[in-house]
Amino acid sequence: MPNIAILEERQAQVLRKEDPGQVACGKRSVAGSVSQRACVFCGSRVVLYPIADALHVVHGPIGCAAYTWDIRGAQSSGPQLHRNSFSTDLQEKDVIFGGEKKLTAALRELIAATRPKAAFVYSTCIAGIIGDDVPAVCKSLTVELGLPVIPVESPGFSGTKKDGYRAACDAIYQLVGTGDTSEIGPHSINLLGEFNIAGETWLMKDYFRRIGIEVVSCITGDGRVDEIRRCHGAKLNLVQCSGSMMHLAQRLERDYGIPFRRVSFFGIEDTAAAIYDAASIFGNPEIERRARDLVGQELARIQPELRRYRKILKGKKASIYVGGAFKAFSLVRALRTLGMRTVLVGSQTGNPQDYAQLKELCDPGTVIVDDSNPLELAKFCLELDVDLFIGGVKERPIAYKLGIGFCDHNHERKEALAGFEGMLNFAKEVHASVMSPIWKFTPRRASRLGP
Amino acid sequence: MRKIAIYGKGGIGKSTTTQNTVAGLVEMGRKVMVVGCDPKADSTRLLLGGLAQKSVLDTLREEGEDVELEDIRSEGFCKSLCVESGGPEPGVGCAGRGIITSINMLEQLGAYEESVGLDYVFYDVLGDVVCGGFAMPIREGKAEEIYIVCSGEMMAMYAANNICKGIVKFAKTGAVRLGGLICNSRKVDRERELIEELASRLGTQMIHFVPRDNDVQRAEINRKTVIEWNPEVPQANEYRTLAKAIEGNTKKVIPTPLEIEELESLLMEYGLFS
Repeated sequence: MPNIAILEERQAQVLRKEDPGQVACGKRSVAGSVSQRACVFCGSRVVLYPIADALHVVHGPIGCAAYTWDIRGAQSSGPQLHRNSFSTDLQEKDVIFGGEKKLTAALRELIAATRPKAAFVYSTCIAGIIGDDVPAVCKSLTVELGLPVIPVESPGFSGTKKDGYRAACDAIYQLVGTGDTSEIGPHSINLLGEFNIAGETWLMKDYFRRIGIEVVSCITGDGRVDEIRRCHGAKLNLVQCSGSMMHLAQRLERDYGIPFRRVSFFGIEDTAAAIYDAASIFGNPEIERRARDLVGQELARIQPELRRYRKILKGKKASIYVGGAFKAFSLVRALRTLGMRTVLVGSQTGNPQDYAQLKELCDPGTVIVDDSNPLELAKFCLELDVDLFIGGVKERPIAYKLGIGFCDHNHERKEALAGFEGMLNFAKEVHASVMSPIWKFTPRRASRLGP
Repeated sequence: MRKIAIYGKGGIGKSTTTQNTVAGLVEMGRKVMVVGCDPKADSTRLLLGGLAQKSVLDTLREEGEDVELEDIRSEGFCKSLCVESGGPEPGVGCAGRGIITSINMLEQLGAYEESVGLDYVFYDVLGDVVCGGFAMPIREGKAEEIYIVCSGEMMAMYAANNICKGIVKFAKTGAVRLGGLICNSRKVDRERELIEELASRLGTQMIHFVPRDNDVQRAEINRKTVIEWNPEVPQANEYRTLAKAIEGNTKKVIPTPLEIEELESLLMEYGLFS
């Protein structure tokens, strides 16, 4: 395995910190490389998924809905409608005669039965190929039923997962600007690209409540249609998952003059920076004082325990492979907090600025990869002899098969890893996995210990 | 069983030629099934005497998978068997997928089984082979013999040449071969020579020159093939001759399509541009 070569077409997308130049990125995946990326539809589905009082209807064969069903660990404090994956279940006959009538019937029935605040209708590959006019169906039902029925133009073949994010942002944008903003105060923000995995949005909202900042809308964590309608009334956008939400942030800045900041709530440094950043923008000394107090209190609460984990984990090596590169920065720093070293880091959708920043941030010797694949990841994990892999559902089997500890940091996870509280959970999880006695018995390590 | 597909430019007279030729074959006592592969479902009207029959896809849509062969196959002139694939309304769905589905369904239902005793199956395909679905009849195991209906008009020849390119593609992986060109005359100058020359450049033959005759239209108005409408008229003999030529045809080739310049120079040579 360690002798496996990088595919020729992909060589520019793999780099060591010392190498000259930057990682090539933003390219279509190389055929046959078995990219870890998902399709356009999946990209839009995961972004819109947490909007809990909306109906989500997948216009396609059943697999598209089944494989993205309940795909996120996104919590809702109220409605649970988003956890259903409704599908038009397109079959042979529908392909031949067109699926528009079936879609119309499905939407009428579902909207009557579930009384949603809005409906999102996802186009899949089949809908795209047979040319079903999903926007026209949505338009006429919006008039007929009196609620927004919004097309999400995401045929799987029509680009990369990133194009799906964009389609999701465009769909969200159809709601923006339609709500009343008169009640929104001067110290108000939106959280963009925060998905309330395991209740993380609630942690963030609590921090902002404590320092006197109003969260108008979280897009899309614990999301509500009516909140999105009035998000244009906020004074600042904090963009966490920048890969998915930059497009929306840019449109809100262009059309409504709302500035945005890229932030992260992963790790203590980044969480503190995000809170200070938001607090400073309003030029209000009281908010800034409260922010300092909050960070101080939270750190005092978790530092002793973090130090204990750090002592044990010091010098361990980690691989990181995540969707958006911005999260990777936070993870590199969070691992440093735990005394660990990142030796492999990569993302599915990073852009040139992301990778430049990542290269700057990393330790010497670190390998940086864009749009990687299982074989490459396995190769580097073995060559670099890592103790931990941080990734998502598609990376987990790679780690476990190789006998490497694993921390799920993707949208399927059920553990809150954001904020100060989340940093402690992260430390616990990393510790539990890395220090598990099981790895001694896996072939990779057992062979070294001798008989 | 000979498996034959008829292709050609839209409006060139594929359905008319197919049905009149089939009439010639059934008159000779052959057992023939015609499968219309056009969403308009108008390929068997003359054989059925205008009877509107239910298409495969309409039946599938209305009655589900539980379809009987009798529901979709009707008997026409001289016990010819007629099937219409059918398809969606213009502007919706995927007609190409419809062709694939209906031919698969005919196979499943046993329409081609030996017990049916077919000597011939004819696929009459929509003029513009716009996607993979319309090439279904020439994929592996379906039609093995192609006849292209054309005339001396440039666009018809252009289409014939294009269809040959498609045949080359499928011939590489399957048994499909070109049986010849059928010239359905438009009374263009030196048309016979032109099509004979085109055929020879394509590596094939002009299997028959069908002269233009208003009796074809007269028969059509009466919803009949010429042979059924008036077996005595000269045009009936033209179709009988064509039927016999196909029956006796042994020249089945992988065509050699022309470059567009060559095709144009051919037209120049025969005086069309003079």
